[in-house]
Amino acid sequence: MNSAIRNGLGYTTLALMIAALFMVFDYVPPEAEQGIAQLIFYFHVPLAWVAFASFGIVAIAGIFYLWLGDQLWDDLGYAAAETGMVFCTLMIVAGSIWAKPIWGTWWTWDSRLTTTFILWLMYCGYLMLRASADDTPQVARFAAVLGIVAVLDVPIVIASVRLWRTIHPAVLVTKQGGHGLEDPRMVATLMVCLAAFTALWAWLLMLRFMQLRTRSRMGTLAVRIAFANAAASDSK
Amino acid sequence: MSAPVVETHSLAKTYGLALVLRDVGLRLLSGAGAFVIGGNGAGKSTLLRILAGLEAPSGGHALVFGQDTRKLAARYRRRIGVMAHQSFLYPNLTARENLEFFAELYSLTEPRASADRWLSTIGLADVADARVRTFSRGMEQRLSAARAMIAEPALLLLDEPFASLDHDGAEIVAALIRGAIERGAAVIATAHAVPEIEGVEFAVYEISRGRLAEPAPKEEVRRGSRIRSLLGR
Amino acid sequence: MSGFAAVLRKDLRLELRSGESTLALLALSMLVLVVLVFALDSARLRSVDVAAGALWVAMVFAGMLGANRALLAERDNGAIRGLLLSPLDPGTLFAAKLAAALIFMAVAEVGAVILMVLFFNLEFDQSIARLAPILALGAIGFSALATLLSAITGRTRGGDMLLPILAVPIFVPALIAGVKASAAALGGAPLSSMGDWLRIMIAFDVLFVTAGYLLFELVVGED
Repeated sequence: MNSAIRNGLGYTTLALMIAALFMVFDYVPPEAEQGIAQLIFYFHVPLAWVAFASFGIVAIAGIFYLWLGDQLWDDLGYAAAETGMVFCTLMIVAGSIWAKPIWGTWWTWDSRLTTTFILWLMYCGYLMLRASADDTPQVARFAAVLGIVAVLDVPIVIASVRLWRTIHPAVLVTKQGGHGLEDPRMVATLMVCLAAFTALWAWLLMLRFMQLRTRSRMGTLAVRIAFANAAASDSK
Repeated sequence: MSAPVVETHSLAKTYGLALVLRDVGLRLLSGAGAFVIGGNGAGKSTLLRILAGLEAPSGGHALVFGQDTRKLAARYRRRIGVMAHQSFLYPNLTARENLEFFAELYSLTEPRASADRWLSTIGLADVADARVRTFSRGMEQRLSAARAMIAEPALLLLDEPFASLDHDGAEIVAALIRGAIERGAAVIATAHAVPEIEGVEFAVYEISRGRLAEPAPKEEVRRGSRIRSLLGR
Repeated sequence: MSGFAAVLRKDLRLELRSGESTLALLALSMLVLVVLVFALDSARLRSVDVAAGALWVAMVFAGMLGANRALLAERDNGAIRGLLLSPLDPGTLFAAKLAAALIFMAVAEVGAVILMVLFFNLEFDQSIARLAPILALGAIGFSALATLLSAITGRTRGGDMLLPILAVPIFVPALIAGVKASAAALGGAPLSSMGDWLRIMIAFDVLFVTAGYLLFELVVGED
């Protein structure tokens, strides 16, 4: 069943990605002001959505793990963190590539990039926590608590960064958002890109999740082997 | 007949591929004492840790005061005293300050008076104001025993209470255990070999390869003999 | 609540006993200010903004040291297990550790404020008084966050390095709000003009004190 989902997602991703690439590079007209660099926008926005969504999954999986105690939720959270980290990094890189031609600088502290950077740091923290300890239920609990605490913080981060940037607009130019897309072709392209990246994310998440599940099941198997061995050596 | 203070059914515990405890079943009523003996790594400490609620069993369950050990409410924890290999004492506090702190933690009405009383019982009254950091292992062990019993708990879980004790220290701790049992507390203690405590009868269980052997017949525990030191066994 | 008082009193007593190391740590957090004065020395930068920033850097530094120490005392002889086995409620233990970290941070803050006024040529006047509630809000939030996180980092291999990595990104909103409000206060603005910043800090504090109180039992203790 899981393999079917995984493979299905794989093929869907492939199809959507091909469509997305075609639309971005051949179909949609570049925006008048910014020129060809603006095309990054069609990657940037989906990457952002996926990075944040992944983070949300980390937290929700954490809650379920603490509540139900099933290792499955911990595996999901860990997989979501690793996957989300990848897309978050890509988003920051994309943002940087966009910033250079538009503002002439490799980085800018506008509200969205700043918030994403903070998110990226939180991902780093979560992954470093997991890397610095063995895989025990205790560490899984730590990670779950960290994920929950970080996600609860995100709205406050967004609010404070936005407030921070509205007070100092002279430092930078506020970025154009996903709104005000006049041409319907732009909207269509964006939609397809969103779908493509979501599919890619879901597929990678599934792959990693299944890997972690296998590893966890081996742990449960170890317990059963221990019992079986003991029982066998009893009946000497 | 009152409900058992401690009860386990088919208790099992694994660490990775090692099965440390299996199919452990025991019952202990108030005013009863049990010694669990076995070699190093036999699983004695693991059993106590599960009973104290510090670890969760891998199979079966353990009940203390009729409650699952994994989720003991505060009012039950108040009635349990634990001695472990670590003393739980603060090295930079004095003996008296340590006992006072635990007395307060367990909501005793007169923490200072209780602390002083126990200090003289265990023979540490003259070093009451010395920091625990300066104590010998034997003195620390005695203080740890007092810490475990200061709230006069209904259940005592003692992991090798006689370790590192000389003859006098062992007598003191033995007297404390006897006093607790006479008070009606239930006591489970671990040791390498069967101790003998004057005036008290203990059930003796042996752990080997994770299994608990049936309690030894009463005749094997001689009454009225002096306590033997366990050092060197 | 006798447990809260007992634990706090014990921690303060232990802290005072440890003598030089407490003073050394406080001094260290203030040396940060000295470094910043030289590092940021420029007539172009408005004094008040730089002063506020330097103050908060020193505060965060002190906060991390303080929270770490509050839980460090429980490592000897497995004392934390003694606490967990006792009837003490884990939430109450969190509150006591939070209070200890807060006291440490408050002492450091007082010293840092005095040094800041001296180093940045400010005045001991109304503006400093207006600074107090802002710093208090910041200290509460950071102490709560750091206490909760140091229960985690204290038991993993990353140890002391991991605490700032986890704490700083999460603390960013309160940091932004705190620095902005502090700079405004030092510049003479009344507290009423900083409503937005203060609201952010209050939200942060409520969130993390509550989260810490509820989640502490999951991260402290052994399995």
